[in-house]
Amino acid sequence: MKWIGEVLVSPGEGGVYNERMLGGARVWDPFRSKLSALYHVGTGIDLSSPMRVLYLGAANGTTVSHVADYTETVYAVEFAPRPMQDLLEVARRRENIVPIMADATRPEQYAPLVEAVDLLYQDVAQPDQAAIAVRNSVFLKKGGSLILMLKTRSVDVRKEPAVVFQDTLDLLSTAGLVILESVWLEPYHHDHAAIVCRKP
Amino acid sequence: MPGYWFGDVEAGSCTPFLGDAREIAGRVRTIRTNMGSFVPLDWELAVSCGFCHDRAEYLKKLREVCFAAAERDVREQYAGKDTELLHMVRTLDEMDTVINLLSERIMEWYQIRQPTFSRKYRRTPSHLMVRKIREKSRGALGNVAGQIETLSAARTDLAKEVSSRANRVLPNTSALIGGLVAARLMAQAGGLSQLSRLPASAIQVLGAKTALFAHIRTHTPSPKHGVIFQHRRVHNAPRAVRGRVSRVLAGKLAIAARLDHYRGVADPGFIERAQAKIDAAGMEDKS
Repeated sequence: MKWIGEVLVSPGEGGVYNERMLGGARVWDPFRSKLSALYHVGTGIDLSSPMRVLYLGAANGTTVSHVADYTETVYAVEFAPRPMQDLLEVARRRENIVPIMADATRPEQYAPLVEAVDLLYQDVAQPDQAAIAVRNSVFLKKGGSLILMLKTRSVDVRKEPAVVFQDTLDLLSTAGLVILESVWLEPYHHDHAAIVCRKP
Repeated sequence: MPGYWFGDVEAGSCTPFLGDAREIAGRVRTIRTNMGSFVPLDWELAVSCGFCHDRAEYLKKLREVCFAAAERDVREQYAGKDTELLHMVRTLDEMDTVINLLSERIMEWYQIRQPTFSRKYRRTPSHLMVRKIREKSRGALGNVAGQIETLSAARTDLAKEVSSRANRVLPNTSALIGGLVAARLMAQAGGLSQLSRLPASAIQVLGAKTALFAHIRTHTPSPKHGVIFQHRRVHNAPRAVRGRVSRVLAGKLAIAARLDHYRGVADPGFIERAQAKIDAAGMEDKS
């Protein structure tokens, strides 16, 4: 990861979403991107140039564009048509992004397109986030990593975020994933946690 | 037999798909993958398959296929005829808000310029006031008044378009309550498929959110009607039967919305029977 002082940046063509530039690199704002917040509050997984990434919940392609700056190929999955239009525009200018319009809860929709990846990144607003991660972990290589951005309020608004967090950790370890790190993304994002796992 | 986007792979042998990106995208959609025994693809298979020469070409072709598929899917999602109508209705409602706000504002402004002017004891409709202000005022005030009139004209055109589009997209619902109100109902529900899934009781109070939640929280009387109040048979009904009319109307609307969503064409028999039922509910001396 590239830091300039206290600021996380990514090397690439700027102007994707009016992000600030610093020393010719794009500033990666932790308040806008949960992945950047993870690198600020925890360790995360170092993104490196040979990496292939499956990105679930690509939305408008903001964070995707930063991930693509660091890695070899990003398979970006998004379901809704409106953000997909923005994602396609980002992908047109970044040749290592493969945009896929599909439902992350149904991996069979994109199974014929996606190769085995080193990193599975998931940021979806769904109630069964742990199950989605487990179902998609078939795409992970042995020893590959999972970064799950847990939106506790999407799982169940009536439950305490801490309870949802613990339940999710249990579900992931029951499914055979090794949990490396789990942190809350305060003060950057409320009621959001990041969970980093390895597939043994 | 595992099928991947570039071809079918079978026990060592591989048949590449031929055709351009759009054709391949079409074929990818038909592949049924069994996730139980699924093994993620290895891009080098595509090379040994004769589909491409190196990784750069592999990614280039894959991206072409994915773009074609995504553009096709986005188009299909928007092809649902209700999507544009939704934006038309919302634009219409926002134009109303803007026109009202601006009209109120310039009337206040006009009163400052004309100390003898008061709106008390006058029955001048707002659009006639705006015209008067335009004719009598110079400078920015007259200019803004003229702009409000232009905006009002655009609003009238849009309302007509909403109405005629609703007659096509929501034929049964529009036949019962008119295109404009039908479109508003659809917009409140968030789309035709959402509207068709609502129970009649929800359709009856759609658009009366504040009153409904006040009822639930503090037990004020429940709302009798929401958006459907705008329909003449509800707001012209005598107070005593208004609740009954809106309840019967909502019941028929729920059926009409389902006909519109799943069948998409007008059902004259249903419309006739429903109209009779709704009219009967409006008779005051029903014993």
